[in-house]
Amino acid sequence: MDSQKVDMYIMSNAKYFKSQQLNYIRERMLAMDDSKWGMLQSVELKDPTTILIVSLLAGGLGIDRFMIGDTGLGVAKLLTCGGLGVWALVDLFLIMDAARDKNMEKIQQFLA
Amino acid sequence: MNKKGLYLIITLGLIAGYSWLAYILLRETPKHHSMPVCFFKNITGVPCPSCGNTRSVLTLIKGNFTDAVLINPLGLIIAFILLIFPFWLLYDTVYKKDTLYKSYLNFEKIVKNKYIATVLIVLLIANWIWNIQKGL
Repeated sequence: MDSQKVDMYIMSNAKYFKSQQLNYIRERMLAMDDSKWGMLQSVELKDPTTILIVSLLAGGLGIDRFMIGDTGLGVAKLLTCGGLGVWALVDLFLIMDAARDKNMEKIQQFLA
Repeated sequence: MNKKGLYLIITLGLIAGYSWLAYILLRETPKHHSMPVCFFKNITGVPCPSCGNTRSVLTLIKGNFTDAVLINPLGLIIAFILLIFPFWLLYDTVYKKDTLYKSYLNFEKIVKNKYIATVLIVLLIANWIWNIQKGL
């Protein structure tokens, strides 16, 4: 794929991924076929900052975990009042990277 | 989520759950002197959807099924998980299988279904309203 296109994608979507993953994404995209560009752009990525705000407001009910697609953990968090409050507190620090990992999982199928 | 991470989380959760139950059962002070642990309830003053689960499980341990349901039906799910999962986990680790992991993935897939999710959410909100009415 055109390097200008790839750099544009990386620049506008850098906040959705972990910084150490960006290089890998860039390399894979350069080697990718042009026809996948449309699909790659249509992938819905979750903003980690939004998830953090949700985690702050409704973390005790597990809504943040539901939103990033971790339904099983969301149910567990809901049933235990956010892990008696401890898990909800810990998740404030973990949820942003968890969201970035989920975003990576979503585009992984196009990169591979 | 990979298999190892899930099993670690389940193990930690089970340990935490059983220690919590043991702490409640073994402590000397009567219940009404303590502050509620629930974050949500402490801040808003309104019980959260799963407030009363500890009481429900404790009532179930004493063999009072109807009272447990009346306090909070979700307690039954927790009691079921606490009872079954240790054996399931043991079975998977001893025989080197991944039945629990597969069931977890299956469960996620089922719950993500639009209609099932809607029904479950409505049930949960109804239960929450009931919780608030009971003043747990």
